[in-house]
Amino acid sequence: MDAVLIEGVTKRFNSVIAVNDFHLRVSEGALFGLLGPNGAGKTTTLRMVMRMLVPDTGRVLIFGHLLGDRTQDLIGYLPEERGLYPKMKVREVLTFLGALKGLSEAEARRRALHWLERMELAKWSERKIYDLSKGMQQKIQFIAAVLHRPPLLILDEPFSGLDPLNAAMIKDIMLDLRAQGTTIILSTHRMEQVEMMCDSICLIHQGRKVLDGDLKSIKRSYGQNTLRIEHAGDNGFLNFPELVESANHHGAVVDLRLRPGADPQQILRAAVERGIAITRFELIEPPLNDIFIEKVSGSDA
Amino acid sequence: MRKIWLVFKREYLVRVRTKGFIFSTFVVPMMLVAIVVITAYVASHQTVRTQQLAVIDGTGSLSAAIARGLSQQLQGDQPAYRVAREESAANPSEEKKWRDEFRTQVLHGKLDGFLLIPAGYFDGERPIFYARNTGDVALAASIRRALDEAGAAYQLEARGLDYESIRSLLKGAPITLIKVKAEGEEEERGQTIGLAVALMMVLYMTIFVYGIATMQSVQEEKSTRVVELLVSSLRPTHLLWGKLMGVGAVGFTQLAVWLGTGFSVIVYGRAAAELLWPGNKLPHIELPFLLLVFIVAFFIAGYFLYASLYAAIGAMVSSTEESQQVATPLNLLLGFSPVMLGFVLRSPNSSTAVALSMIPFSSPVHMVLRMALQMPPLWQILLSLSIVLLTTGGIVWLSARVYRVGILMYGKRPSLRELARWVRYS
Repeated sequence: MDAVLIEGVTKRFNSVIAVNDFHLRVSEGALFGLLGPNGAGKTTTLRMVMRMLVPDTGRVLIFGHLLGDRTQDLIGYLPEERGLYPKMKVREVLTFLGALKGLSEAEARRRALHWLERMELAKWSERKIYDLSKGMQQKIQFIAAVLHRPPLLILDEPFSGLDPLNAAMIKDIMLDLRAQGTTIILSTHRMEQVEMMCDSICLIHQGRKVLDGDLKSIKRSYGQNTLRIEHAGDNGFLNFPELVESANHHGAVVDLRLRPGADPQQILRAAVERGIAITRFELIEPPLNDIFIEKVSGSDA
Repeated sequence: MRKIWLVFKREYLVRVRTKGFIFSTFVVPMMLVAIVVITAYVASHQTVRTQQLAVIDGTGSLSAAIARGLSQQLQGDQPAYRVAREESAANPSEEKKWRDEFRTQVLHGKLDGFLLIPAGYFDGERPIFYARNTGDVALAASIRRALDEAGAAYQLEARGLDYESIRSLLKGAPITLIKVKAEGEEEERGQTIGLAVALMMVLYMTIFVYGIATMQSVQEEKSTRVVELLVSSLRPTHLLWGKLMGVGAVGFTQLAVWLGTGFSVIVYGRAAAELLWPGNKLPHIELPFLLLVFIVAFFIAGYFLYASLYAAIGAMVSSTEESQQVATPLNLLLGFSPVMLGFVLRSPNSSTAVALSMIPFSSPVHMVLRMALQMPPLWQILLSLSIVLLTTGGIVWLSARVYRVGILMYGKRPSLRELARWVRYS
């Protein structure tokens, strides 16, 4: 069964079409990446899945159910713009939000304390939200999203604003939940996270789907056409317009998209002739980042 | 609905636990009770003391009449004032001598004050009253009256007319006001108007304060973005209902405590005061139970009418400052009711008063005012209540449509045309 099935959904605000004839299938148990530039329609799409907005046309099914009061309890949500009641105590906020998702208040309180323990926030449970740092508040919000053990978890930029330790903690919990069968939709701009964590993706641009499917097969379809070079010294030797379609410099590392049929050995030879020290020379599938840029700028034209 | 109940409970508990609420709900009425008790106590225990006065008469012909005029003022069975010394001052140095002497006596508490009538009094020079306590308005009024009468008597007698006979002709007839009601008659000493105005103001303040509280609550959830979490859990309309009822219940709690205290003071206060300090003059006030029932009904209608509009404004704007600005016309619309108070007090059955008690935006406050002043026919009360309930139903529906869209919109404030579009969104 599909965790989420979106069929022909269109949503317009006044004259702006935010989401246009959109179709999407997120299979149960997937860790799904929803990608797109700012204003592409990601948030509008997610809001329709959560019944915060009503589509003009089309329909949305959650685990086979049409949207309704019951489907809202199946979803846990971490919005991108975060905030909680500043004057309420941590435990009270979590109990309230958990109860709103269908837990009894006693159960919500019990689970809240358990999660606070797990997130190393137990001693803050009786403090007010405004006493907490931004990072801590974000962890509280994450708890609010997972408290009722939703079979579908929607996370909008879950790592933004977290230090590496806390980001790793959230990531471990996500992988743990996924291992227990939770379907996770991850909406983000951070391609390297998607690349590492997600098994399938959808790329939205200007309210339309431009790419979707299994991440591995998407990348495979591009083939190993990218040459990654790590070197010391000047990169002036990398001038092969007849071989290279585009270059992407990341400081000491350079990704070169090769033209069809180009021979990478020519580049290696040129480097050796000039006495450049090469520490890495590898043919790889294109990074998701490059695919993203190509797709988004390509459809603009 | 369980989720509406959860929202209701949170709104109610968060507010009821604040110090501000506890203070205004319990301390304010306690202070009111204290004021009534103290007034009753003071009124029954006031020690009657005759004030000692003196007169320096520069004209040489008024002091006797003034002394007579002042000593006629009674306080209970005793004279309120006694003119202990009358001195005439033919020249400025004599005047100065008496003034210095009396000033010393005032400072030593032997005199409460003294009046200086200058030699040029009949030519328009102003008399001066010297006293340590210049706040005694009754004394100043008595002196003024005694001066006027003494002056008039002197002038009339100089023309060979008898002042006393003229005075008895001109004496104003004192009037006792009796309120005529079906249950009987009762002396009116301002208590009906006092009660009516108090009820109206309490109702107005409660609707205003808790309407604004609703707006702030919506605005807080929007600006902290908690609202996104909330509407991912329940329908915006249900959220709004829980919120309106939660904040309204806080207002109702306060109103109930206030009215309950007022009702008990009115019903038992006079009897208790009579037991403790017999002979006190607390006025008799009536607060019929039916009026209380209608107050509650009109509060509910008026609160939902205004609070739902305030909620729509809170949802429409993106900051607290902006919400205050946009709410101004609504504040004025609500504030129009107390402004019209005077008209209704003067004639509670005029067409203006009837209209004010029928127009839904002023009727919750004005119908209660009219009911407290002079019970209007039942059909008018019921008509007014039906009009305001119907209007409230429509306004709540419209506000909910605006709220639902507004809470997720940030940035520019919507124009009226956009608002109309929001209402039509599916």
